[in-house]
Amino acid sequence: MKNGLALFLWVFLTLALSWAGLLLTAHRQLGGLAQYKDPADETLYPQPMSGLADQGRLVYQDLGCVSCHTQQVRREGYGSDLARKWGSRGSYARDYIRDNTVFFGSSRLGPDLRNVGSRLGDSGQPGEYEEWFYKILYAPQSVAAGSNMPPHAFLFDVHPVAGRQPSAKALKLPTRYAPPAGMEVVPTPRAQALVAYLQSLKDTYDYPVEKSRNAPPAKPKEGGH
Amino acid sequence: MEIDASAKWPVLAFFGSALLWLLAGGVLQLIASIQLHTPAFLSNCAWFAHGRLAPAAQNALVYGWGMNAAFAFGLWLMARLSAITLRHGGWLFVAAKFWNLAVTLGVLGILAGYSTSFELLEMPRFVTLLLLAAYALIGVWAVTTFSIRNTENVFASQWYLFGAAFWFPWLYAIAQVMLFKAPVRGVLQPVVNAWYVHGLYGLWFIPVALAAAYYFLPKILGKPIANYYLAPLGFWWLACATAFAGGSRLIGSPVPVWIPTLGVVANFLLVVPVVIIVLNLFGTLSGSYRALSGSVTLRFILLSMAGFVLASVFNLALSLRGLAEIVQFTLVTELRDWLIFYACFSTAMFGAAYFMLPRLTEREWRSSAMVKTHLGATVIGVVLLTAGLALGGWQQGRLLNNPEMTWGGLTQALTPWLIARTVGLGLLFVGHVAFLLNFIWLACPCCSQRTAPAQFQNPADLELPAVSSPNPPESPATEGHP
Repeated sequence: MKNGLALFLWVFLTLALSWAGLLLTAHRQLGGLAQYKDPADETLYPQPMSGLADQGRLVYQDLGCVSCHTQQVRREGYGSDLARKWGSRGSYARDYIRDNTVFFGSSRLGPDLRNVGSRLGDSGQPGEYEEWFYKILYAPQSVAAGSNMPPHAFLFDVHPVAGRQPSAKALKLPTRYAPPAGMEVVPTPRAQALVAYLQSLKDTYDYPVEKSRNAPPAKPKEGGH
Repeated sequence: MEIDASAKWPVLAFFGSALLWLLAGGVLQLIASIQLHTPAFLSNCAWFAHGRLAPAAQNALVYGWGMNAAFAFGLWLMARLSAITLRHGGWLFVAAKFWNLAVTLGVLGILAGYSTSFELLEMPRFVTLLLLAAYALIGVWAVTTFSIRNTENVFASQWYLFGAAFWFPWLYAIAQVMLFKAPVRGVLQPVVNAWYVHGLYGLWFIPVALAAAYYFLPKILGKPIANYYLAPLGFWWLACATAFAGGSRLIGSPVPVWIPTLGVVANFLLVVPVVIIVLNLFGTLSGSYRALSGSVTLRFILLSMAGFVLASVFNLALSLRGLAEIVQFTLVTELRDWLIFYACFSTAMFGAAYFMLPRLTEREWRSSAMVKTHLGATVIGVVLLTAGLALGGWQQGRLLNNPEMTWGGLTQALTPWLIARTVGLGLLFVGHVAFLLNFIWLACPCCSQRTAPAQFQNPADLELPAVSSPNPPESPATEGHP
C-alpha cells in the first residue's frame, strides 16, 4: 500500500466495477422497456400523461411531496399495501416508463400515492372527487381528520367575491376552515396542474407478461419486473 | 509546527463555513421537524413548505457542514501524514468561496422551488458545475499533497482520505449525467439515486470518519493500532462491498429482484470489514479507557466509533427482508442514514476539531463549560434520537402493516415520537451553538484571549486535548505501524 499509482488504480476499479455491474447491467436489462400494446383494444400502455398532468408533475417535484409520500406499491404478501387499497396490484417497472421523473420516495409519513387517482375515483362524481384533492391541499384536516399534512394554502387565491362573478372552482369548505364571509378560496393554475397530476396516478392496466411472472401460484417472486 | 502553520487559514476557512452551515441547516431541520407534529407551523409561505424545507436542511447539512468539515479535516490530516506543508493555500480559499457559493445557491434554489426531488441531488442543475469545479480544486490539493509526500509509509488514514477524494466526484458526476444530462428511464432513476446516496454515505462520510479514528486513537493514546496487519484487508473489503450495497435500499421496490439482492449480499459481506475495523479501533482503545477522561477528542471519537457500529447494525437489519417489510419507509430508514452522517461522521469531525484547531491557532479553548455543553448535548441527543427514531419507526412500521389502522390513528400514535425527534434535534442544536461560540473565541483574530481574563481558566482545569495527550511525535506518519 505504498505505491500511490496502485492505490489509485484499485480505488478506480472498486467504483468502476460497481458502476458497470449495477448501473450498466440494469440499464441493459431495463433501458429498452417499451409500452405494451393491448391486442384487444389496440391501445398502448402505460398511456402518456396529459400536458396539464405533466405540468403538475413539476409542481409535485418542486414542492418535494416525495419527502413524505412514496409512489410504489409493494407486491402481494409483502407489507399490506394492497390491503390498504393503495393499488389493485404491486407496481411493475413498466408502469414508470411514462414518468419523466420517477418519485419512488423512501418515507411513508403520508400514504402511498401511486394509485391515488384510481383509489378515490370510483365515487362516480368526478367534480366532488377533484374537490377532495383541493381540500386536502388547502386544509388537510377538513377531509382527513387527524392528518399531520401541512396545509398548502399558498396554492390558492383567497379573494373577496364582491365586484366579480363567483368562481365556479371556489372551494366549499366546512365553516371551521372556510374563509371570512364575502371571501372565496380559488385554486391557482399550479394547484390545478398538481391535482391533474395526482388524478393521473393510476396503474390500472395489468400487463400479461408481468402478471404471469408475478402470479402467486408457485412461490411468488420478489420485486416487480 | 510548519505544516500546521501552512494549513491554518484554509482549514479555518473551511471549518468556519462548515459551522455556519451546521447552524443554518439545524434551523431548517428544526422547523421541518416541528411541522411534522404542528403542521400549521410556518406553512403559509411556499418557501417553508415541508417538502422544500426537509431536503434544503439535508443538503445544507450534507454539502454545507459535512463536506466543508471533511475538507478542513482531510486537508490538514493529509498534510500532516504526508509530512509536507500545504502549498499555495490561497487557491483553497478560492475553492472554499466557490463551494460555499454553490451550496448557498443550491439550498436557496430548493427553497425557491427548483428542487429536482432526487435524494441528496435536489440542488438545481445550475450549481452542479460550480460544485464540481470547486471540488476539483480541493481534491487536487489533497491528492497532490499525498503524491509529493515526504514519508516512506502510507498510513491507514491516508488510504481512506485518498479513496474518498476520488470516490465522491465520480459518484457525483455519474449520478448527474445519468439523472439529468442523459437521463435514464423509469425505475433506473431510483436505482442510480440509491447507488449515489449509498455511495456518498459509505464511500465519503464513513471513510473520512474512519480516517479520523485511525489517526487520533494511536496519536492520543501513544500506542500503535492493534492488529494493524488486518487494516488493508478491512479497507478494500469495505470499499468493494459498499460500492455494491446501494441496491439494498430498494428491497420490495418494482425493480429487477437481483438489484436489491446484490445489495443485501454486499451488506452481509460488510460484516467482515466492520469486525476488522472494530478489532483495530477498540483493540487499540482497550486497556486505555482511563485516557478518555482526559481528552475530549477521544470521547468524541469513541462516540463516532459507537455510531459506526450502530449504523452498520442498522444497515444489516434493513437488509433482512422480514425486518425491511416492517421498517422500510419508516423513521428507521431515516435513522440509518442519520447514524452514518451524524453519530459516526459529525462526531468524528467534532473530535478532530477539538484536537486540530488549538494547534492551528496556537490558542486554547476559552470555555470548558461550552466544551462540556457540546459533548453532553451531543451524547444525550444521539441517544435520544437513536432510541426515539428506532422505537417510533418500529411502531410506525407495525401500524402501517396493519390495514385496520386508520391514517389518523397512525399519525396520532406517531406524534410523541416526532416530538421526541424535535427535542433531540433541539438538544444537538444547543451543543452546536456552544461549539460555534467557542470556535469564534478561538479563531477570530480580534477576540484576544487577554481581553477577558475573568473568564479565562487555568489550562489544567480545561479538558484540553493539548494537555491530555502525550507529546505527539513530530512525524506521525509511522505511527500505527507495529
